[in-house]
Amino acid sequence: MTVGELPARDIRRALTGPGLVLQLGPFSVRVTSDFDGLRHYLTSHYEAFPVLDQPGVHFSMQVQPTPGLRRYVRPQAQFKVNGLAPFTRVPVRLAHGLFEWGLNWCVGTTSHQWLVVHSAVVEKNGLAALLPAAPGSGKSTLCAALAFSGWRLMSDEFALIDPASGDLIALPRPISLKGQSIDVMAARVPELRFGPVLTDFDTITARHVAPPRGAVNSQHVRARAAWVIVPKWNAGAPLSLEPTGRARMLAHLADSSFNYNLVGPAGFDRLAEIVDASDCFTLTYSELDDALDCFEQLSGSATSRGAGAVREL
Amino acid sequence: MTGGPRRVTLIEVVRKPERLKALQDRDWEHILEQAERARLLGRLVADIDRHQAARHASRWLTDRLASARALSRESERAVAWEVGRLSRAFIELPCRWVLLKGAAYVAAGLPPAAGRRVADIDVLVPHEHLDRAEAALKEQGWGFPELSDYDTKYYRDWMHELPPMVHDVRGSIIDLHHTILPRTARLHVDAGVLLERAVAAGSTHVLCPTHMVLHGAVHLFHDGEIAGAVRDLVDLDGLLRLFPTVEPDFFDRLAADAMELGLQRPLFYALRYANRLLGTPVPPTAWVALAPARPSAAMLGLMDGLVERTLEESRGPVAHLSAFGLYVRSHWLRMPPLLLARHLAHKAIAR
Repeated sequence: MTVGELPARDIRRALTGPGLVLQLGPFSVRVTSDFDGLRHYLTSHYEAFPVLDQPGVHFSMQVQPTPGLRRYVRPQAQFKVNGLAPFTRVPVRLAHGLFEWGLNWCVGTTSHQWLVVHSAVVEKNGLAALLPAAPGSGKSTLCAALAFSGWRLMSDEFALIDPASGDLIALPRPISLKGQSIDVMAARVPELRFGPVLTDFDTITARHVAPPRGAVNSQHVRARAAWVIVPKWNAGAPLSLEPTGRARMLAHLADSSFNYNLVGPAGFDRLAEIVDASDCFTLTYSELDDALDCFEQLSGSATSRGAGAVREL
Repeated sequence: MTGGPRRVTLIEVVRKPERLKALQDRDWEHILEQAERARLLGRLVADIDRHQAARHASRWLTDRLASARALSRESERAVAWEVGRLSRAFIELPCRWVLLKGAAYVAAGLPPAAGRRVADIDVLVPHEHLDRAEAALKEQGWGFPELSDYDTKYYRDWMHELPPMVHDVRGSIIDLHHTILPRTARLHVDAGVLLERAVAAGSTHVLCPTHMVLHGAVHLFHDGEIAGAVRDLVDLDGLLRLFPTVEPDFFDRLAADAMELGLQRPLFYALRYANRLLGTPVPPTAWVALAPARPSAAMLGLMDGLVERTLEESRGPVAHLSAFGLYVRSHWLRMPPLLLARHLAHKAIAR
């Protein structure tokens, strides 16, 4: 049973009552909320995710109006998870944003069973590309473009690495696009489903794009890293794919990790294995199509190389 | 908590960790939530592991426990590291410096260290060397993040510690104390005695066992934060069970030291609630020795109500009211009435 298969009144009943329990990647998440805005958002953007029926969860979230008089005068939304309230309150129109930020907070700060790296992850033919990058580098735009042109979206925000096996775990949540990227992607992929506009505190406009259904349907499928590519969008720049030293990339991944220090030696070992097994690049581009072509070529050459390896066996 | 089956409480499983084995998934989530709020999750996980209480746990529970375990492990490593950095910073300090509370438990390997996540490191130095200690920390990268003028004044004029000093690279937090009670509090503790009798723990010092318990007792109800009260009690319980096994006359000396420092009343309350809520063994002789510090029956009845409601139920309107009562009381003990009125008014408006 997925959110989309659940009758609207059952979704409402769950959200305003015992909670709607979703399987989001490796996490079970219970949401309770009285906000219509969040309910509409979950119904559209989490349509393909499975609904669970289980008593305990990873994250038990409440996105609710603040109690007392504030419920009636300029009402605000507050976020609580597992009994903690890590954020300040926000205006009600940002309730669905609060849910997404809250989930980010949970994954980034309370999920140390995985090594968590700030990176997008896409996959093709079982081989995954990590795209670790700083905000503003165009990571999400590139990730969204790849996700809607033949690559499987594993995650826009977090690379989850199993500290035992080094496998990448998928968490294909909605992709947050900011500023001009919203129009760029809307023009490229007309069927994209955008969430309500979020005006952030620093007045950057953001909207969430619903993940492709196929990515959600295969969210339980793990992958191995084959590339680590740091994307850099640079207006007017010609496409360039520069090899990057593995040691430097290892340091970059460790820097981009939320919990590298917490996972301990296994975290170092897995990251080292990942950069060892991957081709590491810095990708500078200004045209999305050029970047997509570049990914196609990488995937094609790896597949033929992989096929060769199988023959040699 | 009305309606539905009665839920197991955190205090019950802390008191009898064997009960962890019988928990169902629903109870587990509730217990983890309470433990997280009480900052006892690391301790709970240590109990769970010791009793192998989650061997056939569901995936979500296994994951949450693994995550909590990682945090505790990292905290333990980080505290050891920071204490080493402190030793370096204080190498030219012409006096003894003493770790307090969480960092002290970890440094001395005491029971409350199990799974402990130490958020800030509390250090006691003599008042006359406070400036030097502050300068030494600043030289090694600790400093004061921006505080409002009010907060600066609050700490500098009224409190027993400097504002938290935060390291510019590692973000570690040091609370530098010159005594264990606010300057404005009704009780005054001679920090010289505490420093003088401190005992070695590794490369550093911690309070001697009786003083450690007395500090915990003072912290229990003088600290403004009632959320930490359960953990303070659990800490005390661990210490009060251990120390008498090492020193048979521990409770006699505890009562004597409480008298010396004028801390009989806080000790009385600490022993009372540790005993009532966690079953901490307290010998009859200790009650006799503390009899003069026993509050009036009316006052005791009031405190019993406030404390037990606050600690046993972690939410609900009654618990909130009780917690607010204790919050005001803790500040009442810290400040003269007019100052308290000003402080609460400021906090209410600033909020």
